[in-house]
Amino acid sequence: MKKSPQERKLERLLRSSKFSASGFMGNDRRNLWEIIDEDASEIMRAGKTMEEIAQRMRQITDTAKKGLGDWVHVSKTIKASVDDNRGTIPCPWPHHIRSLKRITTVQHIPTETIIRWSELNIHLIEEHGFFEGRGSAFRIEPSILVDILFPDE
Amino acid sequence: MASFVVPITVISGIGAILAAVLVFAERVITNYGDVQVDINQGDKKLTVRGGGSLLETLTTQKIFIPSACGGRGTCGYCKVKVSEGAGPLLPTEEPYMDAQERGEGIRLSCQIKLRNDLKIEIPAELLTIKEYLCTCDEIIDYTYDIKQFRLTVLDGQLMKYTPGQYVQVLAPQYDKSNEEVYRAYSISSDPADKRAIELIVRRVSDGICTTYLFDYLKKGDKVRINGPYGRFYLRDTSAPVIFIAGGSGIAPIKCMLHDMKNNNNARKSIFFFGIRTTKDLFLEQEMKQLETELPKFKFVPVISQPEPGAPWQGAVGRVTNVAEDYLKQQDDVGNYEGYLCGSPGMIDASVEILTKCGITEDKIYYDKFS
Amino acid sequence: MSFGSHMLHLVVILFAAIFTDNILLARFLGMCSFLSVSRQVKTAVGLGFAVVFVMTFTISLDWFAYRYVLQPYGIEYFRFILFIIIIAAFVQFIEMAIERYSPVLYQNLGIFLPLITVNCAILGASLFMVIRDYDLAEGIAFGLGSGIGWMLAIVAMAGIRERLNNARIPKGLQGPGITLIIAGLMALAFIGFTGVLSSR
Repeated sequence: MKKSPQERKLERLLRSSKFSASGFMGNDRRNLWEIIDEDASEIMRAGKTMEEIAQRMRQITDTAKKGLGDWVHVSKTIKASVDDNRGTIPCPWPHHIRSLKRITTVQHIPTETIIRWSELNIHLIEEHGFFEGRGSAFRIEPSILVDILFPDE
Repeated sequence: MASFVVPITVISGIGAILAAVLVFAERVITNYGDVQVDINQGDKKLTVRGGGSLLETLTTQKIFIPSACGGRGTCGYCKVKVSEGAGPLLPTEEPYMDAQERGEGIRLSCQIKLRNDLKIEIPAELLTIKEYLCTCDEIIDYTYDIKQFRLTVLDGQLMKYTPGQYVQVLAPQYDKSNEEVYRAYSISSDPADKRAIELIVRRVSDGICTTYLFDYLKKGDKVRINGPYGRFYLRDTSAPVIFIAGGSGIAPIKCMLHDMKNNNNARKSIFFFGIRTTKDLFLEQEMKQLETELPKFKFVPVISQPEPGAPWQGAVGRVTNVAEDYLKQQDDVGNYEGYLCGSPGMIDASVEILTKCGITEDKIYYDKFS
Repeated sequence: MSFGSHMLHLVVILFAAIFTDNILLARFLGMCSFLSVSRQVKTAVGLGFAVVFVMTFTISLDWFAYRYVLQPYGIEYFRFILFIIIIAAFVQFIEMAIERYSPVLYQNLGIFLPLITVNCAILGASLFMVIRDYDLAEGIAFGLGSGIGWMLAIVAMAGIRERLNNARIPKGLQGPGITLIIAGLMALAFIGFTGVLSSR
C-alpha cells in the first residue's frame, strides 16, 4: 500500500531539521513504521506497555525536577537531574502538542549507565510508540530503558 | 497523412487551451492587487501587494511579529489582533486560541492571507523592532556549555533597548539545518555600548540555533538579529532589589547592573547566582568589579553541588534557600522587588519563597524560559 | 420517453450508482485513497465531498469534450489522455478559485483536491459514461451517484476503522490487512443490492 500524504509528510518532518538540529531519525535507514514496530516488539518481550514506561519516566522527571538541576536520588539504583532550556518544541505528529525543552539525565548507579530523555521523548513513547531512529541525539534504546526503569524484574 | 496530424493537433490544441486557461486564471484569480494595512488605528498605514500572509508581508515592511516557526503555524507566537477584514477563524488557528482570544479577534498572523484591506492592532513597541546585520567579532568560552557572543552592528545605530530585553537571532541554513529559524537571547552587555551587544548562550542539546552558534559560527561571520523584545526590565523605583538567576539567566541581570552603574543608581541590590558546580561559575570578576562600582550591590554565587575537594569558600545549597535565609534577616522585606531569570522550575521555586517572605507577586518580575 | 419517466430513469441511475453499482465496492476503483485516507471520519467526509464535487463536474466536462471534440474527429481512442488532462486542469483551477474566494471551504475541502487528481474512480466514472453511452443528464446523475457512493463507502470504512482502534487485531493483520478484509466484507454486503436496480 502506498503511504498516505500525511504519513509521507510526517516521515519527511521527522527526518528534517525542522524541530531539532539533526532530526528524529538519526541515520536510521528503516522507515518510520519499521522502527516503531521493532521497538514495540522489544517492549512487548520485556512485558511492559508504553503507558507504564511513560508513566515511570514522568515519575522520575517529576521527582528529579525538585532538584532544580542537581542530582536527585530517585531510587536505590537511579539518580537523575533535570535541566530546562528556553522555549518549547512541537511534536512532529499533526496534533499541536508542544513540550518543554526539559531534559532529564538518568544515571543507573550500579552500572553507571547514563541515559537521558526530553519531555518530548516521553510524549513520543506514550502516544506514538516512537523511540526515535538510531543515531538520533535523543534515541533511547528500549531494552536499556526498561532495564534501568524497572530494575527488579 | 491527415490520419495522424488531425488527432495530434486536436489533442495538443486542447492541452494548450487548458494550459492557457490555467495561466490566465492564475494571473487573475491569485492577483489580489494592492491592499491597505492599517496599524493601531491609523498610527501607520501600509500599502502592500496582496496575496501573501500577514506575517510575511509585515516582515518585508520591517515590522517583526515574534515568531519561532517562521510562519508554518506550529508555534502560535505570531498572534495579532485583527479588528477588521480577516474573515472567519481558520481550523489551523483554532488550537492556539482560547475563548477570550477568539472574542477579541486575535489571529495568527502567519495564517491570514492578505486578500483585502485589514485593520490590525499590535503592541506599539513592535513598531520599534528592527532588523540589524551584525558581525560576530568576539566569542568567549565561559564554561563547558556557555559562550558569549559579541555582535557589532555593521552600519548605523544599534537599537535602543531597555536593559533586560532580548533579541532574536536568525540561524541561517547550515549543514544540519535546511531552514532559517529565530531564537531569542537576552542582551547581557553594557547599554553604554551603542555599537554592539553581547549575548550569553547556553548550548541546548541538539538545538538548531545553539548548534549553529557553537559549532558553525566563527569570528568575523555575519549574523542577522532583530529586536528588542520583552517586558523584563528594571522598574524605575528606589525599592531594594533581589535578583535571582541560574546559569545563562545571568545575562539580562548583568545588563541591568551595568545600567544601574551608568546612572549612578544607588538602590540597594543583591544578586543570588545559582550554579551547580565550580565548573559552572563565570563572570565572577565582572561581578566583583560591579560590586566596587555600585556601593550598595552585593553578588552572591551559590553552588548547589560542589565537587568534593573543590576550593570553594562561598555559599553552598539551593539558590532559593540561600536567598530565603537572606530575606529573613531583612526587616524591610515587604519593600523588595524581585527580578528572576532562569528555568521554569527555578522561577516557580523563587516566586514561592519570595511571596512566603512577604514580597507581593506584583513586585516579582521574571523572564521565564518558555 | 415522457418527461416523467425520464426523471425516473435519472433517479434510477443515481441510486444504482450509489448502491448496486457502487464504484468502489462493486468496481473496486479509487482503492488507493480509500485505504490510506480512511483513518478518521472527519477527513473521510472531507475527501468524500471533494470526490462528489469533482466527479460531477468533470463527468459533464468530459461529456462535452467527448461529444463535440472526440466524436466529430473520430478520435475516441484518445479519450484516456483527454479525460485525464481535463480532470487535472479542472482540479487545479478549482483549487485556485476556492483558495481565493472561500478560505473556509479551502481548509475543509481544498487540501484534498490535489489528492484526487489521480483518483482512478474519477477517470473510471467518465469512462463508464462513454461505454454506457449516457446523455448529459444521465452522465451527471451517474457522476453524482458514483461520488456519493464512493463517499458513503469511505465514510463507513473510516467509522469502522475508528472503532477498530479499540479492537485487538492480530499483529500480522494490522493496517492494510484488516482494512482489505473489511473492504471485502463491505463489498459482499453491497453485492446484496445487485439486481435491485439497473443503471442501464
